[in-house]
Amino acid sequence: MIHIEDVHKRYKTDHGMGRWVLQGISLTIPARTNVGLIGVNGAGKSTLLRIIGGMDFPNKGRVVRQCRVSWPMGQGGLEGTLTGRQNAKFVCRVHGRQDDLADRLAFVQGFSELGEAFDEPIKTYSSGMRARLQFALSLAFDFDVYISDEVTAAGDAAFRKKTAAAFRDMADRAGLIMVAHDEGTLKQFCQAGIWINEGKAHWFDRIDDALQAYRETIPK
Amino acid sequence: MRSPLSVTVAVWRAIFLREALDRLFRERGAWFWLLIEPLTHIGFLAFLWGVVRRTEMGGMDVVVWLMVGMLAFFLFRRTGVQVMYSVDCNRPLFVYRQVKPFDTAIVRGGLEAFILVLESVIIITIVNLLGRDAIPGDPLLVLGAVGGLWLFGMGYGLITSVLMELVPELEHIFKILMLPLYLISGVIWPLSSIPLPYRDYLMVNPVAHGIEAVRLGFLSHYHATPGVSLWYLYGCATVSLFLGLLLYRRYVLRLVMQ
Repeated sequence: MIHIEDVHKRYKTDHGMGRWVLQGISLTIPARTNVGLIGVNGAGKSTLLRIIGGMDFPNKGRVVRQCRVSWPMGQGGLEGTLTGRQNAKFVCRVHGRQDDLADRLAFVQGFSELGEAFDEPIKTYSSGMRARLQFALSLAFDFDVYISDEVTAAGDAAFRKKTAAAFRDMADRAGLIMVAHDEGTLKQFCQAGIWINEGKAHWFDRIDDALQAYRETIPK
Repeated sequence: MRSPLSVTVAVWRAIFLREALDRLFRERGAWFWLLIEPLTHIGFLAFLWGVVRRTEMGGMDVVVWLMVGMLAFFLFRRTGVQVMYSVDCNRPLFVYRQVKPFDTAIVRGGLEAFILVLESVIIITIVNLLGRDAIPGDPLLVLGAVGGLWLFGMGYGLITSVLMELVPELEHIFKILMLPLYLISGVIWPLSSIPLPYRDYLMVNPVAHGIEAVRLGFLSHYHATPGVSLWYLYGCATVSLFLGLLLYRRYVLRLVMQ
């Protein structure tokens, strides 16, 4: 269960505070439910997602998580001067996986298919290699709820196929809160939907209804 | 579910190992330069004092006097500077919810003390092997004074790291601040040589108290600047530490919020 209570958010810009992106969002996201966030660009989907994940904080209101929530998939922080392995070790340790560190590392190295590059500094990686490592890191831990912001298919065709399979598997096993612009993806993975419009959030038990409501506001 | 304490311990351990790697192996032989920097510093100034035929400072061998002063000052300065940049340098890691800005600050400060203690042991050994008498006569006093300097460095770092986040322009001032502080703390020339009304003004600086106290710990009959007080150093350290913690408590969200 994730409770979102009266969340307001605006960002600080170079000239004072910006407009309110989220204005009083109150929701309860039940356990083991896959939810899609829908809205036009700039509606605050990613903002809300980051606040749910605890990467960012609301100016007002609060979020109560009664389960383990992941960081946005494929967006884990990496330190450029350290190698892929050292970064992976750091993430494992932070998540209290000191005991089965070797297992986790083997999984990350195997899934990311980085081979010897796993022991090279991150700053030498191509963007595709970075994305592979970050995706593998996200899958290396068991979370109750995964957060996914436009996991754009990374890497070559073979790796894309593998990530899609892993993603499906994960969506069956745990809860998922995702932002995606492709309706097909949303319908495939999500049961419920949240439509964000003008700083307010609207909950729909069926993703189709949410998409319907969203479509009606788009000028033809 | 892990308890809050076990999460914190796991995070500290992870950051410590990560920071240690970064500090010691970031570039080729980074650990070598960490050792060489204070050595050349001490060597150069010992040479300068040698040129003007000064062999003693308040009854203490001038090389030992410089070595003790510099190691003590570096402990304060490097702790302060490392903690000051701890939030900035670890920004990508705050994506992981468990990692709080304060964790990076305390671990960085601890790591710097750890590295400097190792460095100091090596340098003191070298100076002893060169035939100078650099054995602390009162090790407890040395530990007490060094501890006070470290705490004050932590307090300074905590305060400046938050202020720098709130007003980014302050970074320029904090960068400049360390040089005059180095010059007026009695590291490279003795404060006792200053005439009276001005000497008391300089003794407002708690770092000077710490440095003189460490020297007293090495040689009990060293003629320290009058008015040296560990109480004063610890008082300043406590106040700055609590002020720093207060700022962290108040602005913790501002440090990670976008």
